[in-house]
Amino acid sequence: MEYVNPEGIREDGRRPLEMRHLHAEIGTVARADGSAVFEMGNTKVIAAVYGPREVQNRSQQLNDQALVRCEYTMPNFSTGDRMRKPKGDRRSTEISLVIRQTMEACILTHLMPRSQIDIFVQVLSADGGTRSACINAATLALADAGIPMRDLVTSCSAGYLNSTPLLDLSYFEDSAGGPDVTVGILPKLDKVTLLQMDARLPIDIFENVVQLATEGCKAVANYIHEVLLENTKQLEYRRGL
Amino acid sequence: MAQSEQNTGFLTPQRAVKSGRMKEALVEKKLLVTPGEELGDASEVKAGKGAYLAPHRNTVYASLNGLASFVPPPLDSPDQRHTVEVSGHKAYGAVPEPGSVVIARVTKVMARTASADIMCVGPKSVREKFTGIIRQQDVRATEIDKVDMHSSFRPALTYLLAKLSLGDARAYYLSTAKNELGVVSAESTAGATMVPVSWTEMQCPLTGQTEQRKVAKVGS
Repeated sequence: MEYVNPEGIREDGRRPLEMRHLHAEIGTVARADGSAVFEMGNTKVIAAVYGPREVQNRSQQLNDQALVRCEYTMPNFSTGDRMRKPKGDRRSTEISLVIRQTMEACILTHLMPRSQIDIFVQVLSADGGTRSACINAATLALADAGIPMRDLVTSCSAGYLNSTPLLDLSYFEDSAGGPDVTVGILPKLDKVTLLQMDARLPIDIFENVVQLATEGCKAVANYIHEVLLENTKQLEYRRGL
Repeated sequence: MAQSEQNTGFLTPQRAVKSGRMKEALVEKKLLVTPGEELGDASEVKAGKGAYLAPHRNTVYASLNGLASFVPPPLDSPDQRHTVEVSGHKAYGAVPEPGSVVIARVTKVMARTASADIMCVGPKSVREKFTGIIRQQDVRATEIDKVDMHSSFRPALTYLLAKLSLGDARAYYLSTAKNELGVVSAESTAGATMVPVSWTEMQCPLTGQTEQRKVAKVGS
């Protein structure tokens, strides 16, 4: 099966090192404290953040820091074939845990003890890279909610098919069964908070693929940075400054 | 670089450092930052609200998305570094801190306790309410075992100032055992906002009836 044709073009017309088109909006869920919509190509996710608020289950309350909860759901209409269970299945539970751990590492939880921060991410349209899109959307939503963070967290995936490292896999490329590396970084502090891989890779190729995914994360970080700055400028302008 | 009329003079740290106008931008509050941007060295600035000091790198970074500004140090302090603060448009809701004075709304009054929803912590309001309990022994400082809860509080739109402590697993504990703590605003059975008469009574302006509350002594 050919994923990269002899001219070096992928199935959707991109080059191997090319990311999909990014688009983000902030403040889309009015009821939430912070919210964002993030699109990477055809993958579209929406994130809503509530908090810090009182811990609902007192037995889970942490005395010195905030409790971060995360829920990842994929409604029935998000994938090509109608999904059977939107949440609670093994994959959703695993991704919820992964996103929670990634975001918890960067939120300054010690500033909000005995409280709870809820992050809800829902995939509206799934075309590969939903995990990364969810982390990027959650970062934007947390920044919109004014929750203090160490740095923005950005994420991107990369793979290796037909002996070529490919950046930002689509669903078609992901379902090929080849390696799929997801990386999450704190771009300004230059630290890795998430590194996941399916299948296997020789160690030297693995380094290349991780490096590629990290470059993709930095590109996403630049875009998110621009979106946040533009949002602040618009708010300041409306305030009349 | 041409700047459009809308975005007069806002700078990002990258552009500011390049043009050497970092300090100026901070003083004029025109520096736009996102979480993780460097605001200065720990030897020159202190981390204020919206910024934090990274433990190993001796640099102050921003933790919120918004405008960064300088706050000059108090003249008599030994540490003469400026404080860098970042103010976002949406500050996250306040979280109750032990020892702080809160504004709470009474919801239920029972024989030995009253429960209240904490609405503001200090001057900041919370996004979603927290629950607190006032115990009989915390209502006032004297004769604490002779307190009648129903003569101290009523649930009808009663707001009180109270001091917060951690409490138990179920709720925060609130105390009104000081002169300046207690009911600040209450509605009478007739529906009008009552006027305080003494530290135990409030009077309704419509009917002239006095009702008993533990009133806070506010103002000079």
